[in-house]
Amino acid sequence: MADLTPLPPDPVAPQGRPPGGRGFGIVLVALYALFALAATGRASYQLISEYSKAPVAYLLSALAAVIYLVATVALARDDRTSLRVARAAITVELVGVLVVGLLSYLAPSQFPDKTVWSHFGSGYGYVPLVLPVLGLLWLRRSRRP
Amino acid sequence: MSWLTVAVLVVAALYGVVALVHVVRDTIVDDRLLLTAVALELLLLAQVVVGVVLGLHTTRDFEAPVFYAYLGTLPLVPPFVTFLALKDKTRWAMGVVAGSAVVIAVFLARLTQMWTLNG
Repeated sequence: MADLTPLPPDPVAPQGRPPGGRGFGIVLVALYALFALAATGRASYQLISEYSKAPVAYLLSALAAVIYLVATVALARDDRTSLRVARAAITVELVGVLVVGLLSYLAPSQFPDKTVWSHFGSGYGYVPLVLPVLGLLWLRRSRRP
Repeated sequence: MSWLTVAVLVVAALYGVVALVHVVRDTIVDDRLLLTAVALELLLLAQVVVGVVLGLHTTRDFEAPVFYAYLGTLPLVPPFVTFLALKDKTRWAMGVVAGSAVVIAVFLARLTQMWTLNG
């Protein structure tokens, strides 16, 4: 039977966002999903087929992949705990891309092959560097009262 | 570049344009967008089959694992972004759909490049 009475306001819906949507947050989820996929693919291939060539770089690739996966799921879930998890994951990501980016210039011998974070993510249009900044800004803005 | 790949690119472009129209008009998912997504998805699945069959029957030197990974990832994109656009009825989500058409085109270009580089 069709019930046409308007639904009550969603009690879970966060304040200060348009109803039924989370605006830029959805773009973040999509971007993180893309990078989770890219990093997972790269890391599993590197770890399986040529681990001994550059173990440090490949383990970092794997770490990046895990962090992107966690951040994607946490951002998509969008509840209080998940957003805390997302904040932690994205903070680690930012530190990771900065440290690995710097090290790939200072100690290139440790990075004979690239990771997602090498040279501040230049191989990926610097999106890996911009993404955590956007993520943290977004989490800050969407913080619940 | 095979006619199939050209067809995928054309439909991907169409998909992007239809999504962009939705972004501009701030409208939500409609049948036209869904049907375009289905057409794109079927073509992508066909491309996966063709890509794998060709890959197994070639003697050329190509980065097989990466090639198959990219190829296998492509058909996941339209269902994922369609799901996002159905869940989140905002311009932003529709923008993600439009952006996904670009991502698909880039992946296809990269695949073609990998395939023809050492061929």
